[in-house]
Amino acid sequence: MITTPNIPDPDGFYAALLEAQADLDAAATADFQARLLFLLANQCGAQDVLLDCIAAARDSADPASTTTHTP
Amino acid sequence: MSTYAFAPDYELPQWPFRAPPELNSDTVARHPVVIVGAGPAGLTLACDLALRGVPAILLDEDDTVGVRGASSRGICYAQKSLEIFERLGIYERIAAKGITWSVGKTFSGEQEVYGFNLQTESASRQPPFINLQQFYIEWFLVERILELGVVDLRWKNKVSRIESREDGVRVHVDTPAGRYAIDADHLVDATGAHSPIRTQLQLPGQTARSTDRWCITDVRFRKPLPVERWTWVDAPFNDGRAVWQHLMADGVWRIDYQMPEDCDNDTISKPEVAGERLRKQLGPDVDFEFVWIGPYGYRDFLLDHFRHQRVLFIGDAAHVVSPFGARGGNTGIQDAANLGWKLALVTRGVAEPALLDTYCAERRHAAAENLAVTSRSARFLAPRSPAEHTLRRAVVALAARHPFARTLVNTGRMSVANAYPPSDALPAGACTVQNLPLQWQGGSATTLMQLLAEARLTQGLALWFAPEADAVAPMRQQLAGLPVRLIAVGGRTELPTLQADAALTARLDAKPGSLHLLRPDAYAAASLQAAAPAAAAAAVRRAFCTANLT
Repeated sequence: MITTPNIPDPDGFYAALLEAQADLDAAATADFQARLLFLLANQCGAQDVLLDCIAAARDSADPASTTTHTP
Repeated sequence: MSTYAFAPDYELPQWPFRAPPELNSDTVARHPVVIVGAGPAGLTLACDLALRGVPAILLDEDDTVGVRGASSRGICYAQKSLEIFERLGIYERIAAKGITWSVGKTFSGEQEVYGFNLQTESASRQPPFINLQQFYIEWFLVERILELGVVDLRWKNKVSRIESREDGVRVHVDTPAGRYAIDADHLVDATGAHSPIRTQLQLPGQTARSTDRWCITDVRFRKPLPVERWTWVDAPFNDGRAVWQHLMADGVWRIDYQMPEDCDNDTISKPEVAGERLRKQLGPDVDFEFVWIGPYGYRDFLLDHFRHQRVLFIGDAAHVVSPFGARGGNTGIQDAANLGWKLALVTRGVAEPALLDTYCAERRHAAAENLAVTSRSARFLAPRSPAEHTLRRAVVALAARHPFARTLVNTGRMSVANAYPPSDALPAGACTVQNLPLQWQGGSATTLMQLLAEARLTQGLALWFAPEADAVAPMRQQLAGLPVRLIAVGGRTELPTLQADAALTARLDAKPGSLHLLRPDAYAAASLQAAAPAAAAAAVRRAFCTANLT
């Protein structure tokens, strides 16, 4: 799992993400984000990386977590 | 309100109760194998043992096949099961009566979102699947067992209680003519999901009950539909819930509707309610007649150990899974095929009792795998929270446009012959070998199943690719007395010789001089490159746990 910067234009990506869901209500936003999740997962295509990402996403919600992920 | 017609009940065969000889005897007779329960697993085992010359006794509390009239229960028989039936001698009847299929399609609304054709990966003489009402399979097995005449089929013999001991099992039986007891070296429990034997012994297992509800409608109609397995994740004609559509024998369609979790069984199975569902699916102008309407839920169960002293558990008595992917009945049939040859060899004293432990290890592994696979399908079909619904909606929406997402649509992963993990008996693990069509050097046709069926009583096959002529005598000497038949594939020796075959070579990854050991259940147990006779004999001894006969 890559945890160092790897997105060439982070602000541009973030802006595009907001733009794409700007006119959606909460339910439609959840659907959009779920579709995006699967599309991105397929770009990755490495099972161990996907499982690491799932674990990291869980951990990141917990401020007490000290889990670190080495690249 | 419209009225709905039911087809006349099937006329199922009944077999007579005959008073067992033990009823009037003071001594308790001992038998090598007693099987309890004449369902698909118990009958498959009985038929397998009959062909191996083991005089087993099969006890069943009923005197017919099937349950509750025309309820057909299992309908999909997978290739591995069909190959077993080929070896047992009932495949041709199944093929003639059943519906052969290999294409499955999954729909969301009106749109196809996933499809497969299992034939493209098959090299077997048997097709990927045949659909047939379960009672026909049982019926054909019973007639075959009666024809073979080795196994004693005892109808209306209900096991009331067993006494399990380290060295055997005493079985207490109730019959219409009175009670008796018999002793068994080994007792096989094939009494199904509600096994009274398992309950009596209070054996531990893991269990989970689902709240998902379904209603089967078996029905005849004249609308021509493709002979394919069609499933809907969210059918518009079933209020956005799942639907299964499958053809079986006698022109009967099985349509299986997912129901709301809080539904009432009596209501959803009323003919007029079931009829309304069918009307929505088939349109207003299609005449139909019901064969069977049956509401059901499902649960999971996995017994911790498939053996308790001399009691062995097969089929639903050992494991229960949700129906998605046809992994229930097929697993039971394959349990029986795994156990049959082992029981035969242990009974005859050729193999150590430890061979039976390989049954438990291999088939429990298979059952655990099937449980994991079917649980994932069940979870896809019945999401447990709004968030799970969101994920599934995303998969289905993407699948309509993008091939990658189709692999995530899960309306059941069809039954396969499970691979076995490495063990003492199987140092590299084992996979089944499909029933490849082959030819003898003289030109006559055969198949792997035919070779296994011909193998004297119980033998595996040692397939030796292009052996050197001068290597034959030492190999024969080393394998003498072991339960294996030595066959050459290509080469010029005095051994019985099959023609070189590309599919067989590819499947076994064979090279000139390599020897491949096939167990009686068609699992490839060992591959030896440049086979040395002593190593070949050691592989056979390991795979068959052969007794040290001095």
